[in-house]
Amino acid sequence: MRRLFTVIAAFCALMAGAALMQLKLAVQDQADKVAALADQIHNDEESLRILEAEWAYLTSPHALQEQSIEFLALMPPTPKQVLGSASDIPLRRSGEVVDGEHSVLLPTSQPQEKDADEKKKDEKQKEKAL
Amino acid sequence: MSFARAQSYQFDADPMEGERSPLAQARARLMVGVLLFLGAFVLMAIRTIDLGLSSPAVERTATREIVVPPVTFARSDIVDRNGELLAVNLQTSSLYANPRKIKDAKGLAQKLSVVLPDLSHAELEQKLSSNRSFVWIKRKLTPRQKWQVNAIGEPALSFQDEEDRLYPHGRLAAHALGYVDVDGKGLAGVEHYFDDRLSEAGRTAKPLALSLDIRVQYALADELEAAMRAHQAVGAAGLVMDVNTGEVIAMVSMPDYDPNNVRGVGDEEKFNRVTKGVYELGSTFKTFTFANALDDGIATFDDGYDATKPLRISRFTINDDHPKKRYLTLPEIFAFSSNIGTAQLALDIGGERQQEFLQSLGLLTPASLELTEVGAPMYPSTWRKVSTMTISYGHGIAVSPVQLATGISSIVNGGQLNSPTLLKSNDHWQNTRQVISPATSRQMRQLLRLAVTKGTGGRSDARGYRVGGKTGTAEKAVGGGYDRKALISSFMGVYPMDDPQYAVFALLDEPKGTKETFGFASGGWVAAPVVKNVILRTAPLLGVLPKEEDEGLYQRVALMIEDD
Repeated sequence: MRRLFTVIAAFCALMAGAALMQLKLAVQDQADKVAALADQIHNDEESLRILEAEWAYLTSPHALQEQSIEFLALMPPTPKQVLGSASDIPLRRSGEVVDGEHSVLLPTSQPQEKDADEKKKDEKQKEKAL
Repeated sequence: MSFARAQSYQFDADPMEGERSPLAQARARLMVGVLLFLGAFVLMAIRTIDLGLSSPAVERTATREIVVPPVTFARSDIVDRNGELLAVNLQTSSLYANPRKIKDAKGLAQKLSVVLPDLSHAELEQKLSSNRSFVWIKRKLTPRQKWQVNAIGEPALSFQDEEDRLYPHGRLAAHALGYVDVDGKGLAGVEHYFDDRLSEAGRTAKPLALSLDIRVQYALADELEAAMRAHQAVGAAGLVMDVNTGEVIAMVSMPDYDPNNVRGVGDEEKFNRVTKGVYELGSTFKTFTFANALDDGIATFDDGYDATKPLRISRFTINDDHPKKRYLTLPEIFAFSSNIGTAQLALDIGGERQQEFLQSLGLLTPASLELTEVGAPMYPSTWRKVSTMTISYGHGIAVSPVQLATGISSIVNGGQLNSPTLLKSNDHWQNTRQVISPATSRQMRQLLRLAVTKGTGGRSDARGYRVGGKTGTAEKAVGGGYDRKALISSFMGVYPMDDPQYAVFALLDEPKGTKETFGFASGGWVAAPVVKNVILRTAPLLGVLPKEEDEGLYQRVALMIEDD
């Protein structure tokens, strides 16, 4: 009985030692990984700085303007195109119902656009006067 | 059981009369050992239970700190108000070689000159075939060049890590930023002014945020450059300022330079015309004369002066550039930029009071900007009557554009004088000083707006943005006299006039008239369009909403201006 107990105790001690060794190795392995990751992060941060500088260089307003002229057909916005709130957007004009036929709508006459044309003329004249 | 035995030993030992048997002694000693072990085991058991139940130990392992070595650099970055990178320190590599290890110098020189085309081939070959053990090939390579050099695979070539200051936007904002020497020491601009702050150990990780907006900076530089080319001007200066905070949003001085490579850049390019240059700015100064008179109650909008004929004072004659030859009301004098009327108004103010007022606006002391390149204003040491008259319309006094913008900002923003700043700041309210009353400021806004809609500044009117402003044209002082052909043409604009946000200033040095301007080179013809274009380009960026103008704001004053 006593001898059995001793054997079991010795076996347990050996197993515990082996497990501890295993754990220690695993922890060391993980610690190495963490250190490698930290190193990687450091390197990435460094290259990030370089990339940020390159990004600033490539997105410099002058470079963007050149690219825009080459690839986009965009013009600078005129004051008329800038709207302050959603309520400034005019509602879509609904068509005109002819002969009680609701499936086909005819376009309404557009007196407002004429106004706009006249306004343009006025503006041109004003500009000439200046 | 052992107790019984011990008893029995005791019993057995008794007859020995106090002499303990060695066996009993050993037993007792063993007992001590057993008790010790028992105690130790009990302790271990308690500790085991303790470890099992408590959680802090678990947490301790989880929060074990992971130390990432920080990226260190010798100098802080500089960013604009939106965090856009303006100046940055980067690791670069410098290439050197050990010629003694090189076997085929000719071939290597050939390969290197392909990668580094700016090096002379002959010099390279001579360097590589020398008998030294160390020669610099090129300092501060780009990452791509480094990669290409590595691709050559020559063991005699090596790199040395160095730090280099880079300005990704090149010549944009060069005068505000300044530049550094090879050792990374700031020599001009904010690089020089904040040299200690930028290179202070422990603070390099925090970037220095300037008040500049690089997008606005570019719009201003682009427009000024175009105007300079169109009018063959020798120089140009421009400034955009937040009138409510004094923050400089953009600052352009032409000709400029690339801070990445200052070798061979002349003084003319390095000269900051916005802060260091002082100019007689002409009629823009009438704004101050009018603000002074209105604030002191010396004149009201209903008053006027006779401008039928030139004024004579000692040996000077004061003429109007746009003569109307009639009696002019105060708004008319301002809108038509009448020197005769303004000079008379200044006489009513008086020289002493005029000097005091200009002093209070900071026009007689150097601007307190965060730059070392700040010019001191020039004005007569004895303020005579004739000085009072000429200074009222901006002649005989020379100030820097940044001083002018600061003064105008305080006139339109309700009378609060903010010192100009190049730093993005939130605590600017502490440094304000009331210089004129809000009521006067309101009247000045009306006058400035009318100078654009009805007067000489018409070509600055960016429709929708309610621009107000004043033109300025002055002849350059050359050797004691004035050169009629060499002009300083400027325009000081503020928008939107019903709630002033930004002041835009443009100045052209010696512009020539073109066909488009009918040969005119005055501020209203050459500088006002620059301001207009800058406003049209930048107002959407700065969040100023275009809207239909409320003419009622100006109607009463507008009626006092008679067109003819």
